[in-house]
Amino acid sequence: MSLLKAKSSRTREKRLDTLNAWQGNVSAAVTEFSDGEPVKRIRTFSQSTQDDLLYALRLLAALRNSVTVIHAARGCVAAGIFHQVTKGNGRWIVTNLDDRDTIMGADLKLRKAVKDVYLRYKPEVIFIVSSPIVAINNDDIQSVVEELHEELELDIVPIYVTGFASHHAVTGYDTTLHALLKYLAGKRGANNKNNSVNLLSVAEHPDDRREAERILTVLGLELNILPDEASPGIFRHAAAARYTLSLDQDTGNYLGITLRDEYGVPYAEASRPIGIGATGRWLAVAGKALGLDEVVVKLFHEQESERVQKALGDFNLNGVRVYLGLSSATSFSVLGLVEELGGEVIGITVSRLDQLHKERLDDLSLTYPTLQIHVADGQPFEEANIIKRLSPDLYLGDSAHLGQIGRLGIPVVSLEETPVLGYNGVLALARRFSAALHNRTFGAALARTPLPYKESWFRRSPNWHIKKEVK
Amino acid sequence: MAHHIEGSRNSCALHGALQVIEAIEGVVPVIHSTAGCGVQHYFGVNRLNAGADRFGGPPVSNSNISEKHVVFGGSSRLREQLKNTVKIVEGDLYFIVTGCSTEMVGDDIPAMTKEGRDQDFQVIYANTPGFRGDVHQGYQLAVKALIEQLPSLGKGEQSPIEGLVNIWGIVPHQDPFWAGNLEEIGRLLEGIGLKPNLLFGYGQGLSAWNRVPKAALNVVVSVWGDAPALLLEERYGTPVLKLEGLPVGSAAGRFLQTVGERLNLDVTRTENFINGEEKRLNTLLASLADTYYRAGFQREFDLIGESAQVVGISDFLAGTLGLIPRTLIITDNPPEYTREALLTRLSGLVEGNGTEVFFSEDLAEITDLVRSSAVGLVLGSALEKPAAVELGIPFLQISFPLSEQIVLSRGYAGYRGAATLLEDFGSAILSKGYNSHVSQESPLHTASESALYGS
Repeated sequence: MSLLKAKSSRTREKRLDTLNAWQGNVSAAVTEFSDGEPVKRIRTFSQSTQDDLLYALRLLAALRNSVTVIHAARGCVAAGIFHQVTKGNGRWIVTNLDDRDTIMGADLKLRKAVKDVYLRYKPEVIFIVSSPIVAINNDDIQSVVEELHEELELDIVPIYVTGFASHHAVTGYDTTLHALLKYLAGKRGANNKNNSVNLLSVAEHPDDRREAERILTVLGLELNILPDEASPGIFRHAAAARYTLSLDQDTGNYLGITLRDEYGVPYAEASRPIGIGATGRWLAVAGKALGLDEVVVKLFHEQESERVQKALGDFNLNGVRVYLGLSSATSFSVLGLVEELGGEVIGITVSRLDQLHKERLDDLSLTYPTLQIHVADGQPFEEANIIKRLSPDLYLGDSAHLGQIGRLGIPVVSLEETPVLGYNGVLALARRFSAALHNRTFGAALARTPLPYKESWFRRSPNWHIKKEVK
Repeated sequence: MAHHIEGSRNSCALHGALQVIEAIEGVVPVIHSTAGCGVQHYFGVNRLNAGADRFGGPPVSNSNISEKHVVFGGSSRLREQLKNTVKIVEGDLYFIVTGCSTEMVGDDIPAMTKEGRDQDFQVIYANTPGFRGDVHQGYQLAVKALIEQLPSLGKGEQSPIEGLVNIWGIVPHQDPFWAGNLEEIGRLLEGIGLKPNLLFGYGQGLSAWNRVPKAALNVVVSVWGDAPALLLEERYGTPVLKLEGLPVGSAAGRFLQTVGERLNLDVTRTENFINGEEKRLNTLLASLADTYYRAGFQREFDLIGESAQVVGISDFLAGTLGLIPRTLIITDNPPEYTREALLTRLSGLVEGNGTEVFFSEDLAEITDLVRSSAVGLVLGSALEKPAAVELGIPFLQISFPLSEQIVLSRGYAGYRGAATLLEDFGSAILSKGYNSHVSQESPLHTASESALYGS
């Protein structure tokens, strides 16, 4: 059956055996994923973390000429407001479900919201995002979509997130990308093949997208960048492109494989182009797949490397012990960059671990079999416990809880809004690393405010609350 | 039936409850809901309020319920989460709050709370699903839970403390200047010899909340303080003083006089204190005069914010600074019974001016109103910025959400707050509307020139 016939994508745990709670070294992780399906763990104590609804909002915020109607209680739009006022992205309407709606359903309300929004803004597309309430009371979004699509002659795309069906927020990207292809890309073969190359940029920093665009455009490629900053029309074009490149195998995976399996656009997983060497390798692999002149690609890489090396001067991370708390693919790639700069990664927290990371784990097991991996999304109590034991010289993270990590007194660099990709990413990161290590007074000041945890917690092992799930 | 809203700035009841809890030292929220509720709050509230947060990140305890709990119930998950929160997170009181999913499933929160208490955990609860209302309802639900359940934990005392005054109705974070506003109101009350009980912010923990029943007076700054004050009046007979809005500038003097009368304070002491504050503010006004005339501070303005803010700030701008209120938009959905008084009060700020007053939380509607009013200054939230930029007029963010200001301890209440407001709105005019080449052609000149106030 066609993947896109389904209402939604499968969850990450079902599709890729994704773990959200785990701790052990690299060798153990390799074993975990080679002996069939890994055993699922749960936490008996947990902290707030991202969910699929939040990731859907984040992705939709970057789409052009669109308006989003969130079919939910009023609070579910809060993160949308964050994207709107900090980045100028998105237009958000919440259906504001109340007590009565949770019992009686509220498809009339949804219908009215969609019509009002259409009349006011005449967008190219309207997204409808579901929510925990709607997932529980089973409000009929689908008939609203179908009827209003006819009536308004407008693309209306329902995105069936739930807030609870998956432990992995990244499932929200899959759900959203599934819906975007299903409703906006058309049927297979409906569009004539074109010569463009898809560049998957899923919730990337705008500078990162531009850096990738710069590199690939210099090499003469005609790009189709999606979904970030994409207009709805791009999805049709993408379905008829000649190849798909990805900037992040974790976030772009579902879009890449669906374009491949549904529309026949070739796609290969690749590590993120973070660091000079990794960018060169990413480019070489892409160049080969796209039939670019090997000599030209190599020359470009050498010129760019030289430029970056020159700008770096004698900056290095020699003797610096680094801890990484990043989303998975980013973490594994930043690890390479830290090495390249002469530093040592002494531990990592990744947001999830799954089949997509198997190859990278195999590689790592040759060089760092004992490196500690902690799998957690937004569980700073565990991270703080680990970091207290390791006392690294530098922490690199992209989570919302860096304010806690800072209280451990160590220099912190946030990658949440720092470009990391390509040659320019190396420079942007090096500048931040350099400043953080050059003057550490803010960390010392923060260390005077205690973490919110009891001393006894730090005497427990960090994985104390991670248990095998009893089914 | 609740209507859909564009760009809602009033988040939900759960978020309002979290805002209460996070502003009280030693109280730990235990969220029983889906994983994202706490992060929604962190992104959509804390981060749009200078990131001011006691814990250094999203909420520290959340049961993160999954499909299994939706199908089979999540009470046992909450039991486990509560037990472990008490073990891990430092706190004097653990406060269970719920989200939409667990309320729809029907988890028995009172029973779980009782179980916790039976194990000697200090724990209270409030049912706060987002479908029950907005941030203001959340504030009321959480405050009610504290007032009703703290005494049963055995620490509430009832013998009155002379001169103790509780302050209600300032919703932490929803008023971005909540901490500074409370501190200034506290400073003023201390100035006339009283003991303010601020309840939220730095140094405000359970001991402050245990003193609540002992107050001599409950001061209500916004309509959202009505419910707690009423509850305390019923339970402990504490008298209530309702303010028209945030007391800014001389309104603070009138506030102190009233408090003094109600509590039979020494009149001379009160008057002396007020005179001192007035004199200081008058000196500041006088030192600003040259810039005020030169840069044309006197102009029409739009103000978008919560009812207490709109009353307090527009009262000062119009009543002391001579500015002209054009369109005032109240965004916190005050109850119907308060609206007529607000309309009368606000439309009469400047006699014969025809100030228009609206109630709306819908961004589309608010944007239309701002666009059509063509004034010389807009004071509102980050959500109004695009409209102000489009019109090319000076703009100051004074209400939630904020995107380009850090507010840690500043406030607009009282006499000190009036001076801060002068600094902020004056800076907004100087940086965007005065002496810049843009201003030569900006609509602000045409607007201020075309508006003639005839005899």
